[in-house]
Amino acid sequence: MRYLFISLLVIFTFPSFAVGGYKEEFEREFMSKPWAGEQIEENACIGCHVSDKMEPKLKNIPQNWQMSIHYENNVSCHDCHGGDPKDPDMSMSRQRGFIGAPKYTEVPEFCGKCHVGILKNYLESGHGEALKKTAKGPNCVTCHGSHKDEQFIQKANIDIINEQRCTKCHSYERAMIMKQALFLTEKKIGELEDNFGRLKKEGVFTADDEKPLFRTHADFRALFHTVDVDLVKNQTDDFAKRLSIIEERVQKGFREVRFRQNFSGFLLFLFVGLAITVFLLGRRSE
Amino acid sequence: MFTGIKKWLEVRIGLDDLTRTQLTEYRVPKNVNIFATLGFVALAGYAIEVISGIFLLIYYTPHPDQAFRSVQDIMTRVPYGWLFRQIHIMGSYIMIAAVMLHMVTVFLMGNYKRPRELTWVVGGLMLLVTLTFGFSGYLLPWTQLSYWATTVVTSMPTAFPYVGDFIARLLRGGDYISGITLGRFFALHIAILPPIFLSLIALHIFLIRRIGISATPFGTSDEEKRPLTEYKKKTYPDGLPYYPYFFQKQMLMVMIYVAVMFFLITFMPTLFSPDEANTPANPLKTPFHIRPEWYLLAPYQMLKLIPNKFLGISIQIILVGIFLLWPFLDSQKEKNVFKRPVLRGVFIFLLALWGILMFWGRY
Repeated sequence: MRYLFISLLVIFTFPSFAVGGYKEEFEREFMSKPWAGEQIEENACIGCHVSDKMEPKLKNIPQNWQMSIHYENNVSCHDCHGGDPKDPDMSMSRQRGFIGAPKYTEVPEFCGKCHVGILKNYLESGHGEALKKTAKGPNCVTCHGSHKDEQFIQKANIDIINEQRCTKCHSYERAMIMKQALFLTEKKIGELEDNFGRLKKEGVFTADDEKPLFRTHADFRALFHTVDVDLVKNQTDDFAKRLSIIEERVQKGFREVRFRQNFSGFLLFLFVGLAITVFLLGRRSE
Repeated sequence: MFTGIKKWLEVRIGLDDLTRTQLTEYRVPKNVNIFATLGFVALAGYAIEVISGIFLLIYYTPHPDQAFRSVQDIMTRVPYGWLFRQIHIMGSYIMIAAVMLHMVTVFLMGNYKRPRELTWVVGGLMLLVTLTFGFSGYLLPWTQLSYWATTVVTSMPTAFPYVGDFIARLLRGGDYISGITLGRFFALHIAILPPIFLSLIALHIFLIRRIGISATPFGTSDEEKRPLTEYKKKTYPDGLPYYPYFFQKQMLMVMIYVAVMFFLITFMPTLFSPDEANTPANPLKTPFHIRPEWYLLAPYQMLKLIPNKFLGISIQIILVGIFLLWPFLDSQKEKNVFKRPVLRGVFIFLLALWGILMFWGRY
């Protein structure tokens, strides 16, 4: 039996070495990027942009996109630029809806396809007016960046308003007042997002409660894009009320987590007690 | 009432005789140690999994669009659903630990040796089925973690020429993990594996009772070195009664097992739940760190280290074969591992290697 098994082992191992290189290229890849790799590579935009034939300044676009908030939310190339990512020959065809990169003045409309509320308020704001009148005013990428050079579109936050950025066009004073007006509400929203993350980690389902927070956050961001400090200040109370309702739900979630911990702790002590009882009974019967 | 039922059963199935022969007159060796209870602990662990699993089955929906949501509903909306799910998850991990510990102690005490080769093989098969239970159940919550861990594991067979792609497609029901895979894994988890496992348990218990419990090789002289020429059940007329002596030991270990499970649920509820375990599966987004369950980390890391995947998987299959057929390969009569320095050295080396690979695989 032993000799038979050893013989089988040798017979089985030998061809393993012999045919091991059979699919070497695929094997090298399959652990690190199993099948998704293939799906992403099917995307003609990325396939072409990462290839050597692409001019250097456009080569980093996929890499920058993969670090962006758009990637995090599954917003791909064709969602903004149109075209057909599944067909390399027709990927940049106008017939397939390809619109390419927008001109400087077209950027707000380009981003506003999805960010509708923000676009409306931006166009009515001083920033939007400046762009309309001079064609040089700030557009979306002025503050939020794009995927060119070493930039990537980060999740928007209050730190985007900073002296270095704002003073490129005007003095910082007015921007600072706006930042102060936004601060408390933004802080609260950030705390709630963190708390939802903690609850989710504890196994509490938060998706239903996260939706109103997302909506409130989006409305607040849209409001801010009016760049009207007084309007932001006037509406801050309304947002505080909306956030306090969400806060209540978060606290309910934390109460649930505490209850779970206490209840399973009770069961833990129950079984420890039972173990001690069984142990003592065993000692007694011995 | 109770006496009436007892009497009703007594005249029909001979309850007293059954209790006497199977419990009080059934004797275990005097030097039986606490490690001999681990098989019973694993059995209790399996029963806990079945009960909690049936509860989850009532609310779970095996469809890619609803699986994640249904699990979230179990965790949040179903009364005490979180408890049953946590028991099912934590229970599965410590049950696998108990099964592994059981096999290690059986190995150390040489209890796999003749005439118990079959008991070992059936036990080994049960371990493999248990791991398949874990692997198939992992996909069911349809999270990023489960989706991508399953993607990695089901892509392993593709390293085999000719049949590899077929096996991968058979597991997945296509090129990618999809609703079909979920359906297959669900059926495997709740309908195909349980009867196989129950049959193996029945066979395992039958073999233990038919052959007789093995004496612990430490301390007393080993009585099992006789030539194996005819069937003879191993009994211990001067041993201790199974009930209450050994049964109490088993129950003590089960209570400790359940207490450990609740300790983990209370103080480390997220031990096996990284962020990806709370995010719905997204086939278009590969998480940065994909890794399988803790008990598959060592083989996973081994595969990563061996540059040729076919060779890596072949070695693992050979190792599993050696593990299952070990009683037939080990012809030495000495049961006590402490009197076998080479085997002891190899065993410690393999255990250390397993530990190192497991921790390495985590990072």
